[in-house]
Amino acid sequence: MVLTDNYLTRWYRLLAATLLVTAALTSTPLLAERTHELKFATLAPAGTTWVKLLQDWADDVEKQSNGRLVFKIYPGGVQGDEPEVLKKIRFGQLQGGAFTGYGIGQIYSPTRVLELPFLFNNIEEIDYVRKLFMPEIEQGYRDHGYELLGWMEVGFVYFFSTAPIKTLADLHKRRIWNWQGDPLGEAFFNASGLSPVPLSIIDVYTSLSTGLIDTVYAPPLGAIAMQWFTKTHYITNVPMANGIGSLVVSRRFFQNLPQDLQKILKRTGAAIGEQLVTATRKDNVDSLEILTAKGMELITADEDLQTPALQQIRIRAGESLMNNGYIPAATINKINQWLQDFRSNQAAETRHAPD
Amino acid sequence: MEHGLLPASLYYPTRLTALIGILMLLTACSMGQMVVRSSQTILDSGVESMNRETDLQLARDAMPANLKLVEGMLIEDPNNNELRLFAAEGFYGYSYGFIEIEDPLRAKLLYRRCYSHAQRALKQAGIDIDPESATHEAVETAVSKAGKKAVPALFWTANCLGKWIDLSRDDLSLVASLSNVAILMQRVIDLDDEFYFGSAHIFFGAYYGGRSPLLGGDFSRSEAEFQRAAEINDNKLLIVNLLQAEFLDRQRLDQQAFHNRLVAIIEAPENLYPEMALVNGIAKQRAALLLDYEDEWF
Repeated sequence: MVLTDNYLTRWYRLLAATLLVTAALTSTPLLAERTHELKFATLAPAGTTWVKLLQDWADDVEKQSNGRLVFKIYPGGVQGDEPEVLKKIRFGQLQGGAFTGYGIGQIYSPTRVLELPFLFNNIEEIDYVRKLFMPEIEQGYRDHGYELLGWMEVGFVYFFSTAPIKTLADLHKRRIWNWQGDPLGEAFFNASGLSPVPLSIIDVYTSLSTGLIDTVYAPPLGAIAMQWFTKTHYITNVPMANGIGSLVVSRRFFQNLPQDLQKILKRTGAAIGEQLVTATRKDNVDSLEILTAKGMELITADEDLQTPALQQIRIRAGESLMNNGYIPAATINKINQWLQDFRSNQAAETRHAPD
Repeated sequence: MEHGLLPASLYYPTRLTALIGILMLLTACSMGQMVVRSSQTILDSGVESMNRETDLQLARDAMPANLKLVEGMLIEDPNNNELRLFAAEGFYGYSYGFIEIEDPLRAKLLYRRCYSHAQRALKQAGIDIDPESATHEAVETAVSKAGKKAVPALFWTANCLGKWIDLSRDDLSLVASLSNVAILMQRVIDLDDEFYFGSAHIFFGAYYGGRSPLLGGDFSRSEAEFQRAAEINDNKLLIVNLLQAEFLDRQRLDQQAFHNRLVAIIEAPENLYPEMALVNGIAKQRAALLLDYEDEWF
């Protein structure tokens, strides 16, 4: 019977199709790639803008990779300080982290040329130089076992003190903290002829309370986060340096990822880095306002704490870092040249701008 | 004898005195205020009964009506310090026990309201300062004058502001006020360290335990503070252990301690501390919830 035959044919086809779909579905786990887990540490506390953005990044990567690349974020320094996190990355216990200049110095120290004291006058200079320098930074990280995913900033660093600092002579009278083991800090203090008190960052708050030190340096956001502002009364309105930061993963982890996941990680990492830079710059501006509202006094420095006296300190600090091999001379010269080009172009544009 | 328009009976000295007394009372205190003040013993008993509650759902359902009753009474008697502190304690407990996990945004607003009540009580206690916005020097000066009577207002102001900040970590202005909370709590410890089950010690346990040493954390100090709070409560208040797991064990990345402490809370006898059954019930509930985060946090 034709009707029956057609009916049976359709029934068999339906059965065959169902079996195929079932087979495809049940075989998916066998064919699927394994899930890659990225354990990522940061000092930023949970709930802060930074960690919220990192979590957004993690969610975005998981979504774009269809769950093949998932993050496990450890906020608030639970995995230890930056040297400890780097050690854990080397041992494969962690795969990545967010680092400040202190940790970056142990990854690829020439990057810290961007933190030379009194190098930049404004954000435009920072962005211009960083863009030109970025390919070299990326290669440097790669050569030392890390992949740079995104760039961050800690922001302009200021002196916070218990007495006003208007001049270099004032600075000489202070008991200034120096982050123990930080070559850049040491170079700055040597170049300034200052004798700081080297201490671990862990001891800063207590040492401010006991009077062992009376002056620290930090970005405004950091001064709030670490509550150092409660032990100091003055902020000297001269940005000492611009603190840098990076989002990195180990090269070994990165290379083991399929190419499409590498691309997702690089693309999203760069984007989240930009967002972090924007958020940090805003937070630092807001923090400065909050600190003055909380009773801190913003001190305008006298002439000798302005250029060119500060330029001399920068040059001497740079020379010292060149001599000990922390930053090659070629890198410093290149940065200076780019900066000079930018400033000349800016000056020319200003001259030619219509009134 | 001519007595004017008033009935003669009112001119008897005793009745006259009574009338003057009543009039004076009415001038200083409205009828509503009298009713409110005469009801306060009932509120005391209500708080005691709530603390003994073992049915968390019943407590959750009952609290909003009680809180609105207290706020209604405060409209009648706005300067009533005890009522202000009832309100602060109630909003804190309701938010912490039942709202914070499922709706942190709403919890933040409830803590803000809790702070508003407590801070008014602080002002009534003679410490006219707003720790949310004041400089820490101003807070230190104001608080140094506080005596033992101000302890409840100091504690609830600090506790409510502390939780408000905890849920607002992206609000830098509030984060900058955290040191003010510590100043108030330290004063509570100086004046009466056992106040409210040694909660100022619990605060410092979380304060020093929940941060990396790089950011001002101090694990030894945190441990000592939790230990002192446990001593004050004869190890019967489970919230102490809960916060030690949530803040100190997590920050130390000590998964074993975290796990064991939370399991011990869940397995603690139901009648461990009948006077504080509600808080212990909430601690058990949160312990089970925190265990779900174990894989994510470690």
